Amino acid sequence: MPRLELDAVCKGYAHPVLDRLSLTVDEGEFFVIVGPSGIGKTTLLRCVAGLERLDGGRVLIGGRDVTRVPPYRRGAAMTFESYALYPHLTVFENIASPLRARGMPAAELRATIEAKTTLLRIEHLLERKPHEISGGQKQRTALARTLVARPLVFLLDEPISHLDAKIRHELRRQFHTLDELRRVATLYVTHDYAEALSLGDRIGVLGHGRLEQIGRPRDIFERPCNLFVAQHLGQPTINTYACALERQDDRVLARLSGAPEIRLPVADAHRVRLEASGLGQATLGVRPQSVRVDGADPRHPLRATVDVYEALGAQGILLGRLGSLPITAITPPEARFEHGTPVTLDIASDELLYFAPDDGRNLVL
Amino acid sequence: MSTTSQAAFVDRHEADVSERDAARVWGTSARPLPDWFQQKRSRGGGLVGAWVPIVLVGLPLAVILAIVIYPTVWMFYHAFHDTNMMSLFSGNWQPVGFANFGYVLTSDRFQDSVSNLAFYLTFGATLQVLLGTALALIIYELVRPRWLQTLVLILLVLPMMMPPSIAGTLWKFLLQANNGAINHLLINLGLMGADQRIEWFSVDLSLVSLVIADTWQWTALPLLIVYSGRVSLPPAIYEAARVDGASTWQVLTRLTLPMLREIIAIAFILRFMDAYKFVDKVYVMTSGGPAQSSELPVYIAFQKGIREFQIGEAAAYAIIIFVFAAVLITLFLQYLKRVMRHQGVTS
Repeated sequence: MPRLELDAVCKGYAHPVLDRLSLTVDEGEFFVIVGPSGIGKTTLLRCVAGLERLDGGRVLIGGRDVTRVPPYRRGAAMTFESYALYPHLTVFENIASPLRARGMPAAELRATIEAKTTLLRIEHLLERKPHEISGGQKQRTALARTLVARPLVFLLDEPISHLDAKIRHELRRQFHTLDELRRVATLYVTHDYAEALSLGDRIGVLGHGRLEQIGRPRDIFERPCNLFVAQHLGQPTINTYACALERQDDRVLARLSGAPEIRLPVADAHRVRLEASGLGQATLGVRPQSVRVDGADPRHPLRATVDVYEALGAQGILLGRLGSLPITAITPPEARFEHGTPVTLDIASDELLYFAPDDGRNLVL
Repeated sequence: MSTTSQAAFVDRHEADVSERDAARVWGTSARPLPDWFQQKRSRGGGLVGAWVPIVLVGLPLAVILAIVIYPTVWMFYHAFHDTNMMSLFSGNWQPVGFANFGYVLTSDRFQDSVSNLAFYLTFGATLQVLLGTALALIIYELVRPRWLQTLVLILLVLPMMMPPSIAGTLWKFLLQANNGAINHLLINLGLMGADQRIEWFSVDLSLVSLVIADTWQWTALPLLIVYSGRVSLPPAIYEAARVDGASTWQVLTRLTLPMLREIIAIAFILRFMDAYKFVDKVYVMTSGGPAQSSELPVYIAFQKGIREFQIGEAAAYAIIIFVFAAVLITLFLQYLKRVMRHQGVTS
């Protein structure tokens, strides 16, 4: 049963931000909206929460049209990117505020808050003020404030983006294991693709006012519907090259426009769809993890030179030059490369992505 | 102080600072300070010569000494002498101990003026702050278009731009019993009969008239202070409250007022400090009358000192007022400090 439905939601300020955006989040689903900053992710949440008046479309929560309903009667609870804790109130009073607004009796109120704060492991901080606790604890306080409200829909705006890596990981685990979040519908906004892939039951990639693609994390990552989605998911960013698809004997080759001597074979799995769309020009997408860096065999067709090599511990990132074209590759952790060394590359042809040069749609889907 | 010892003074001072910084950066471990740092320290000297701080501090100090400290000491001295016009110019004033204070504190005139001051603090200063706070919040919340908000603020602030003595003169005209605009207005509105007159400058009402004129002029000050405080409160908090479902009343009493507490306290302090030097309007509107019914302590001090040249007595007045004000302001600052610590504004 859908808990949250957005039906052709429109919102604009000086420019259109959300353009006929539709979305359905089911009960128990954790839906992550991912997109570059400034694309309208927060605006989308604010529209659902009722903090913004829609320019068009409808918002339904629990099957009820709440488009014209004030925020507190919508059954949605929201955490803010800045936490928005009340600075002069204790952690306890902060968490209590939605309950006080409903006039909950004191005993029940204390029991509720103690239960939730124990769950989030901030029960020892109840008498502190927001300025006396750390960022992670502030975030948990804000989260507790939404949890006690027992909403139908949780709206989480970049809840862990501003925390340091260790606490981010811990809170990410907490989002996985919180039953409260897993029971209702959650709309979670982030610019961090790893967070999205880790947390989302489904992911929506926001761009150009709409959800460019909705799907399971793995599907979106492996089969992006267009270049925008492919470029936004994945770190380092996908390599893209203009290329011409040409038939040669019984094979199809992708000849890179910037380096005509380089021709990459097209995998059989992709060939049928590419031939059906008539070959010609395309944008080739090469994920850094599809590039394997080997020794320096001078007879190998794909020779590159190393510009920068970053050894990051768990993996390495190699920024190199393939002819005149820049290329990024992920290497195993034990590899070591010096600036200017020649290397040979192997590119897994069945992991390549082909996009239309005009609108960027995935030609193979 | 010779030049070398000045330099040594500056050096030592710098060394203190760097030691403190070093302690912060290097912690309390036994790790030795690096060589370059030791050298830098022993080299000493800064960007400016040793005389620069002496002059920069010395000049203002001399001015303050001349126009603040010396007169204050002079005042304290004469508060304990029987100085009046005669003895001041002949130079043979005699010490009288606390006689001036005793005389002032037991006089009916002083006691009446204190109760007048209490009236003014309650219905003047306090009312102005409350009114200003209410107006500020109403303007911020209810006047929607930005330009209209600005316009209303400008209009409300205009009276504050007027010299207090002019404002007092203006209100003296407005409040005239026979030809004053206020009485005419009340008659025309049908609030009182055509043959009735309110004697605004009678024994009963003269202090009220002063308070009306002062409130008209000064309500804008707390208004501006509270308004700017309200503007600077983070909007996300109010959005969170909207999602939480807090009512307008809850938002006001649980969020806005508690968060504006120290701002409102500052407005109070400013108005209270002004109250102690409230002379201008008293002087032009009522001259403390009729029958000293609108006298405030500082007005009497002014009368005694400047008009009657009862220097000793005037000095005693001034010191008593000073002590009063100091106690009250200290209490306020204590409160302010507590509030700020409570809210984490200071450590």
